[in-house]
Amino acid sequence: MKIQVNARNRTHLFEASPGEKILHSGLARGIALPYECASGTCGTCKAKRVSGEIDDAWPDAPGRKSLKSADEFLMCQCVARTDVVAEVPAYVQMMDTGSCVPCAGAGRIASTEMLTHDVMLIDVDTDAPMEFDAGQFVLLGVDEVEGMRGWSMVNFDRHARRLRFVVRRKPDGVLSDWLFSGTSRFGTRVSLFGPLGHATFYPSLGRDLLCIAGGSGIAGVMSILSRAEQDDYFSRHSGDVFFGVRTARDVYFLEEFTRLRRACGQGLTVTVALSDEEPPSALVNDYPLIRFDRGFVHEVAKRHMAGRLGNVIAYLAGPPPAVDASIRMLLLSRVTADNIRYDKFS
Amino acid sequence: MQKQRICSASDVPDNGMKSYDIEGRKILVVNAGECFHAYQGLCPHQDVCLDEGYFDGQLLTCHQHLWQWDIRTGDAVGLAEAPLEKYEVEVSEGEIFVVQSSALKAVDMLKDVSPASLERLEGLARREQLPAGTVIYEVDDPADDLYVLESGRVEFTIGRDDRTRLAGFMLRKGEVFGWAALLEQHPRRIARAVCHEDSVLLRLNGEAMLEALEADPTSGLMVMRRLATLVARHTTGPQNS
Ligand SMILES: Cc1cc2nc3c(=O)[nH]c(=O)nc-3n(C[C@H](O)[C@H](O)[C@H](O)COP(=O)(O)OP(=O)(O)OC[C@H]3O[C@@H](n4cnc5c(N)ncnc54)[C@H](O)[C@@H]3O)c2cc1C
Ligand code: FES
Repeated sequence: MKIQVNARNRTHLFEASPGEKILHSGLARGIALPYECASGTCGTCKAKRVSGEIDDAWPDAPGRKSLKSADEFLMCQCVARTDVVAEVPAYVQMMDTGSCVPCAGAGRIASTEMLTHDVMLIDVDTDAPMEFDAGQFVLLGVDEVEGMRGWSMVNFDRHARRLRFVVRRKPDGVLSDWLFSGTSRFGTRVSLFGPLGHATFYPSLGRDLLCIAGGSGIAGVMSILSRAEQDDYFSRHSGDVFFGVRTARDVYFLEEFTRLRRACGQGLTVTVALSDEEPPSALVNDYPLIRFDRGFVHEVAKRHMAGRLGNVIAYLAGPPPAVDASIRMLLLSRVTADNIRYDKFS
Repeated sequence: MQKQRICSASDVPDNGMKSYDIEGRKILVVNAGECFHAYQGLCPHQDVCLDEGYFDGQLLTCHQHLWQWDIRTGDAVGLAEAPLEKYEVEVSEGEIFVVQSSALKAVDMLKDVSPASLERLEGLARREQLPAGTVIYEVDDPADDLYVLESGRVEFTIGRDDRTRLAGFMLRKGEVFGWAALLEQHPRRIARAVCHEDSVLLRLNGEAMLEALEADPTSGLMVMRRLATLVARHTTGPQNS
């Protein structure tokens, strides 16, 4: 199928394979079509159908609430049935050279491990190596579950053959129920599309690093820290990580944070914010290199970053309310929008 | 739009904002402490309501994708790719009135032009109402005039005969096309420009514009700077010179 996207600045032409989402076809050809969640919730990928027939794979997608007319659709959920001409009222360029162009792939679940009562560490071995930037995510699907889910990479490796994820169980979530059912998912084949996401970190940014993560939002932060560590970034710039969870039993990665603190020295500070209780003294004593505080993660970050936001680049990830609260806090502290990068786990 | 009452000054709290539906359009009123500003109420990016965004006293931010604008001018800041349409505000006896401003004031390229020169340019502009389907210019036509979109939508196509291709479109008040008219020995049109809907345009003769700007070199330099940015941005694709 031929797809023509009329953007404000030019027209893009590309092929879509049968069943392939229009967004995926365009991105895979290096066309920087607009998207954010890539999973039907945010509405950023909306386009208007000018001609042709499309199938909507998820007519109930929450992102459809930002559509204004019947001929608008979400490129991340729709598939072309015939040749399609669509309009995107935005400037659409080709991706910058050097950025990782996403593609469809596959892999298998290589290991799973419970990190807390509701968080699982999952390794996926990919059939082909994947290049991605620190802070990116992939879409992942399994045969038994409708639709794909966004999962952020925890690791950062060149030509990665293994992708590591942390996944939090969402009550009544369809993939969550499949994953946390108690049945071992070791060896399950998965389909992949990626890498995706604009919340990327490059050492050349040369700014102080601020990461504010709510819950499993810590995934992409780990990838960023890994990249920064490989580049000895914290000998030149400060790094502040804020990891927000509810209670002491929800926290993980403390050993890894301790190792990073040792490896990166004074430049890196890690703070765990507990929203629902005072940090228990056992925890505080066991992890002397980590700071613990009580409060919502954006409030704790605000407190500890007072007067130090002037030269930061901020990475925010996690549930939408946590990310929104952090964005608000940073903007009102005069951090400019081009220094705020985020993924909402919507 | 005639001068229009929007609300009472006391309706919008200090450092707050509110939007109002006036004659089918959304208008955002911002109380910046010492004065009020009025802008289009929907984000030019994806039509998100701006009153749900953030205002810190200087910058207005859309909460969806963090486009930002300078509250005094509506100029795009940071990630924003388009300015906000500004309305002139009058406060009289505690009531807020707005007037739609001229499309020329919304032109990014003319943002730094002195008020006197802008008035001269206004005097040069011919306002044209064109029905859908009107061809504004064809490939190879001489590039004498520059156009500013006031309303409607203009599409550009490149190529000839049956090998034509859409090369972009314009739909925002204050967008400029045909800027080759400002270049020395203006090249000929390389695209065809057609009104896709009923449209209103301001048409300015390039020579006359340059003469007006020669009389005010400071403004002229700023225009040329912004023109250079525009040209650079458009070399990645659109052929609407
Ligand atoms: C950019 C991004 C990165 C993310 N990274 C992580 C991470 O690192 N760790 C983590 O735990 N979570 C992450 N999430 C959240 C994750 O994608 C899931 O939303 C979460 O795991 C819950 O999935 P669920 O199936 O249990 O819940 P459900 O509520 O059943 O589904 C959640 C999401 O799956 C998609 N979906 C559901 N049904 C359909 C359908 N029929 N067709 C198409 N799509 C459908 C939708 O996007 C929906 O919002 C991320 C989300 C985004 C957007
Ligand atoms: S990118 Fe398609 S809805 Fe978010």
